Amino acid sequence: MSQKQSNQIEVGDGAAIPNPEDKGLVSAWYIALFGTLALIILLPWLKPDPYLNILRFVPDGILVTFEVTVLSIALAIVIGLLTGLGRLSPNRFINLIASLYVEVVRGIPLLVQLFYIYFALGRFVQVPDIIAAVIAMAFCYGAYMGEVFRAGIKSIDYGQTEASLSLGFNRRQTMAYVILPQAWRTILPPVGNEFIALLKDTSLVSILAVADILRRGREYAAESFNYFETYTMIALIYLLITLVLSKLISVMEHRLSHYERR
Amino acid sequence: MVQRLLAVLVLLATLCSPVFAETTIVFATDATWPPMEFVNDQKQIVGYAIDFMTAAGKEAGFVPVFKNTAWDGIFAGLAAGKYQAVVSSVTITEDRKKAMDFSEPYFTVRQALIVNKESAAKKIEDLKGQKVGGQIGTTGYFAIKNVDSVEAKSYDEIGLAMEDLNVGRIAAVVCDDPVAANYALDKYKDNLKIGSIIETGAAENYGVAVKKGNADLLALVNKGIAAVKAKGMDQELKKKWIGQ
Repeated sequence: MSQKQSNQIEVGDGAAIPNPEDKGLVSAWYIALFGTLALIILLPWLKPDPYLNILRFVPDGILVTFEVTVLSIALAIVIGLLTGLGRLSPNRFINLIASLYVEVVRGIPLLVQLFYIYFALGRFVQVPDIIAAVIAMAFCYGAYMGEVFRAGIKSIDYGQTEASLSLGFNRRQTMAYVILPQAWRTILPPVGNEFIALLKDTSLVSILAVADILRRGREYAAESFNYFETYTMIALIYLLITLVLSKLISVMEHRLSHYERR
Repeated sequence: MVQRLLAVLVLLATLCSPVFAETTIVFATDATWPPMEFVNDQKQIVGYAIDFMTAAGKEAGFVPVFKNTAWDGIFAGLAAGKYQAVVSSVTITEDRKKAMDFSEPYFTVRQALIVNKESAAKKIEDLKGQKVGGQIGTTGYFAIKNVDSVEAKSYDEIGLAMEDLNVGRIAAVVCDDPVAANYALDKYKDNLKIGSIIETGAAENYGVAVKKGNADLLALVNKGIAAVKAKGMDQELKKKWIGQ
């Protein structure tokens, strides 16, 4: 039976997520984490100027990066849910709108979308910089998230819908009380991946003069000319964040797969 | 016979060519700084500094090649040897002198505060608690950062800061006065104005930056700059690019 399964190539957007069964990857994760931690601690300790100065310069940037990431993912999940439901809707008009949105957004590079929402639309609607960044990121990731939701909902056996309908639930109730609670388990892990991918992509908002980690680093480098040291620290900070997050997501995934393993 | 003749000719050509070939100097420039250096509608890099260096090259015997480079990494590229010099409205400062060598000044500017038409602000301090923008790593941005009561915002290009000021996301922009004039008196003249010229003590001088210790190149560039100034060509260029 297992022969029938086609070979799947999985390329995640985030850092490699350690699978507890895969010993090789687990050790790679540990080496990367401890290497990063050691460098982040050792470099400023051995050479306070400039490494410690850089570490002092960027913390508010880390906050902004997280702010943009969390707000964007929250908004993207809402947009994604609506898009996913729209793509499955029997109503042809709603279906068309949702599909059109996904098609358009996926065809435009994120950087161009950021410029578009910030500068092109800025002539008509004025929103503060961080909000503009959040809207642009959520607008883009909402489309990807929509596909995740659609796949998650479709993964639930149609028998569930039939059973629910025969018990007297209407379509909306079926979706809200029967299908979605089950689909969450399939949906959450890829959402976690998207979260990490989004966090990395927020480095693009530095182009909008939003003071995130990368922007702060660039400001430091432009003033001190310590390009090597600054970008080394910036890369290490991003790496540390994504490594920790990918571990958290792997733990979550492990918990969620609890039922399947029985 | 013909082959031998050709061989001799080739040999002669190789021997003679160093005599005729002029030194080529690759200058990096962030061509987003009108009217000093910018890309025109024919996609050519033009401007005051470009004309100045071309004239200096004619006088001192070098051929300048201009390479459009993002401001953000322009000094990193110089240190890495990707080009030999930077001519990009670089103000000569003590901090920068530690990292690179500078030619004689070729232009003098002051920092200007650009604000909305209705604004009454005359200096950065007047904009307490508001956002003021400048280009990352420029003396204009450093001037904003020195004022604690305003929030400094750094942009990749000065044009993006002007657009943000135009739509009202920030309260003011600080940059070199010829650039300020180009935006406030021309492109955005309906919306923006020059609030004031900031008197931060001494005026700022633009210099050509070269890698630390590159004395030969510096001497050549200095020779060109001196010759252009001696002939009064810089005044003509000023008239051409800046007006008054």
